Amino acid sequence: MENKKMTMALFSGSLDKLTAAGIVLSGAAADDMDVDIYVLLQGARAFKKEIGDNPDKLPMAENPDLKQEFLNSLEQLKVKTWVEFFKEAKELTNVKIHICGLAGKIWGGEKLEDFIDLADDIVGISEYITSAQEADVHLFI
Amino acid sequence: MTPEELKDLQVDKTVDARGTACPGPLLEAKKAMGTIDPGQVMEVLSSDEGTKKDLPKWCTKKGHDFMGIVEEPGYFKVFMKKG
Repeated sequence: MENKKMTMALFSGSLDKLTAAGIVLSGAAADDMDVDIYVLLQGARAFKKEIGDNPDKLPMAENPDLKQEFLNSLEQLKVKTWVEFFKEAKELTNVKIHICGLAGKIWGGEKLEDFIDLADDIVGISEYITSAQEADVHLFI
Repeated sequence: MTPEELKDLQVDKTVDARGTACPGPLLEAKKAMGTIDPGQVMEVLSSDEGTKKDLPKWCTKKGHDFMGIVEEPGYFKVFMKKG
């Protein structure tokens, strides 16, 4: 049986939405889906090497005043960081992470080495559209 | 199988996922399933309520046999046979 295919447009670069994306991705990994993630505007900032898993450099999309409580709860519940979720999913299933070329440039990232090791390549928008057209599940986070 | 039958069941693999919240138990189950042979039985220990719904559905979708759930004080065990 061929694996189901998921395409995710990851626009968000906030701690809460990246965590949610990581959990959704884990579900897809448990289901052996083939996943293509297209990292768009704000997401590309979070994928910069100097940002990544550093919560001090990532905002909250909602309830910004509850950021510390959010982080404390994640730690207490032993929830992985968003980068760890993405890393584990890549180990479990076929996940490819594509950085939008324009988004990268906006945040000063020209080359693949400017982004955390999880990123596979830098692409243009038509790849995302093609992937979305072929996907069984298509998400915009 | 009845809970009594499940309690006496000889399991080939035990996965203790009690320390983790969703999606921890699901991912632990997936990883451990890769280490046993078809026909072998695995139990997953969890205290995460969502696991009771998640794991049976995952088993069915992936072709494994969901055998039942046994409640224990403060946690529960999900039994499954690899397909």
